[in-house]
Amino acid sequence: MKLKKIVMALAIAAMGSTGVAAQAADVYADFPVTVKDYKGTAAHSVSYSGQMARQVLHTSLKKLAKQGNGQPNAALKAQMMAYFDGKDAGREILAPTSKGTFVLVQQNVDQLSKKKNLAGKAYKGAVTSWPGNMTGAEVLAFMIDKASSADKGYDAVNGLDYAQLISKFTMGAVFYNQAVDHYLDEKLGADVKPNSKPYKAGAAYTGKEHVWDEAFGYFGTPAHTLTLTAKQVHSIAKNKPDALTLADANGDGKVSLYNEMAFAHAYYAAGFDKGGKTAYLHTITKAFVDGRQLLADANGEALTNAQRSELKGYAKTIADNWEKVIAEAVFKYAGSAYKDLEMITAMLENDGDVSKLYRTYGKHWGELKGFAMALQMSGKDMGATGVQLNRLIGFGPVLLGNTQVTGIDANGGYVQSASVSMSEYMLQLLKVQKLMVDEFGVEARNKDVLAGMTDLIEKLGAEAASAEND
Amino acid sequence: MDSFLSTFGSDYLNGLIETFISPRKRLFLGYVALALVIGLVWLRWQGKTLKVALTSMLSRDIWLSASARADYAIVLINRALFLLASPLLLGQLAVATWLYFQLFDHYGLPPAAGALLPDWVVVTGFTLWFFLLDDFARYYLHRLLHRWPVLWAFHKMHHSARVLTPLTVLRTHPVEGLLFSLRSVVVQGLSIGLFKFFFASQVDLYTVLGVSVIVFTFNVAGSNLRHSHVPIHYWPWLERILISPAQHQIHHSTDVRHFDTNFGAVLAVWDWLGGSLHRSEPGKPLRFGIRQRVEPDEQTLAMLYLQPFNEAVMIVARPLRRCWKGLRYR
Repeated sequence: MKLKKIVMALAIAAMGSTGVAAQAADVYADFPVTVKDYKGTAAHSVSYSGQMARQVLHTSLKKLAKQGNGQPNAALKAQMMAYFDGKDAGREILAPTSKGTFVLVQQNVDQLSKKKNLAGKAYKGAVTSWPGNMTGAEVLAFMIDKASSADKGYDAVNGLDYAQLISKFTMGAVFYNQAVDHYLDEKLGADVKPNSKPYKAGAAYTGKEHVWDEAFGYFGTPAHTLTLTAKQVHSIAKNKPDALTLADANGDGKVSLYNEMAFAHAYYAAGFDKGGKTAYLHTITKAFVDGRQLLADANGEALTNAQRSELKGYAKTIADNWEKVIAEAVFKYAGSAYKDLEMITAMLENDGDVSKLYRTYGKHWGELKGFAMALQMSGKDMGATGVQLNRLIGFGPVLLGNTQVTGIDANGGYVQSASVSMSEYMLQLLKVQKLMVDEFGVEARNKDVLAGMTDLIEKLGAEAASAEND
Repeated sequence: MDSFLSTFGSDYLNGLIETFISPRKRLFLGYVALALVIGLVWLRWQGKTLKVALTSMLSRDIWLSASARADYAIVLINRALFLLASPLLLGQLAVATWLYFQLFDHYGLPPAAGALLPDWVVVTGFTLWFFLLDDFARYYLHRLLHRWPVLWAFHKMHHSARVLTPLTVLRTHPVEGLLFSLRSVVVQGLSIGLFKFFFASQVDLYTVLGVSVIVFTFNVAGSNLRHSHVPIHYWPWLERILISPAQHQIHHSTDVRHFDTNFGAVLAVWDWLGGSLHRSEPGKPLRFGIRQRVEPDEQTLAMLYLQPFNEAVMIVARPLRRCWKGLRYR
């Protein structure tokens, strides 16, 4: 009888520990400290606060980009640069902010991490998708300058929406580039930030653990993403009041911007996945969690070749899916801009007022261009695809007089030239959608201009491989 | 490899089952059952007793013959081959998009939905257009399969059937299957690209059970009897418009008079216009196959699948050899 009780107790304990393990594998948190001879007091080794500070620098910068009054504004520019290039203490988080019951834990950037900026981490190569032969940081600084003197971030003369351009390009030039071109690429090498040593003296995490954490932070998803649906993660990013309980994983009644909020790329991944055709958010997050578990299991030892190879497999899954998320966004906004132009054309034929539609077109074009620029920030040479994408979209939307920004002069002013007609530009936008399908295999395909074609093919039925013969 | 095999296995089985349970397929059991009923009614009308009619339609001499057994094996083998080849085939979407872009480039912005014609006209027009183009393309490719010796080498597999059962419709050499698939891709792609450009979201198809209303009518009306031994014929005037089962059976006849006639699938007008129409000859018995004489190995799978390649090479090589000889003796 006693033996039976012991066996029962052991079984329950085993079930309990299995439950804990299963839970641990679902959440990107609480991975143990594996650094040999660690002397500190940290209870776990997960740390990506610097990345989350950059996430809020980005969201705050986007908010500031909409605050110009159409006149040169040195104060606004200085404020924007403080979020982009500064490291000063006391920067307030301008977005997201608490809304009703959706209360946030942090109110200023330093609560997440001190002395962080975006400029220092922006793409260092030449950005070919924007005129002027500038680096990523230079392009962003250029846009910030323009935004500070634009009316609510919108340059009506050239059709450029800086809030969108700055936001989407930052997502590419900083977050995506840092993650896939650095942390998930060369920093997974055997001799770089080895797993057998702390990341820096006294750190609670090994080199590889922190490298992996930093990449995760740039993706911007809640640590407990795998316990949520894509739709739920999307509603968290929208700060919806009823999303508080979904976001609040630790039950303190508030949402931590460190590990309970959805930002940037994760928000877009969730947005596409909630349509039901894709699973980018969970695929990427699962690969991050599995990779982190692998590192925890390595227990502070240098990774074997097999372990590193497996880790690189997870990294590839992340990079491939991440790229597809951005390509989906390019696809979506090419479709949105197309539909805007369709409506503008119809309105013009009826002598209607197009000003509102035109503004929406500028916003969608900004999103399209920003994501198209972001897509080219992975560090890999996109060759002809990049050239084609940049030529199809151009440096500005085609305007009512069939002109378009084609360059920047020596003073940093835009050069506008005669371009294609609006209908020709619409065909180019369609070609952008086709390029995203052909080169990146996008599947969610929001705002698919030719959506009906696939439905019709399905309806006509005869699959290509059938050969009924008379 | 294991996952490939398991996916392949389940796709194979699903595809095979779909052949018989999807109303989109000619061999949908509902259509086959209706064909059986129509055949029985016809034979009763011709004065046969129900027992004789039933026995003749379900005869072991037909269904268990070497020819029919070859049909069954071909269906199973081709299903696997097409499954392997299907990812390589050009998609309808690529053709449709290509045409749409060409039209856009040429005509500029597509008209808005509803700008040219009302919905019901567009849907009726598309249903009819697709049927006519598809039926014509079937006729024309079929004609080429008979007229071009290299293609005939492969099409012969279908005509080598000595007995006709509904499954004979799938007795197709894979090379011919590929051509039929490409035909389907081009017809669908061009129709969709064209109509989508001019009528946008208005484009649709009138369907019954998920299949075009015209194809559904054709199948419900006993399309499977064309590959059977029930010689249903229509009035002579109607056989200029629609191909009757008896006319298609003439197409399979070994009588030289019947060679290269009745290429049409549904409509006979293409044959009428093309000079290949042959109306039915009620009461005249037919023998099916390529030739009268029966070869001992003509129903073996090796012969059916490989011989066409051999013949095709010979056909292509002959003029080349002649050319080479001509050059040598100059």
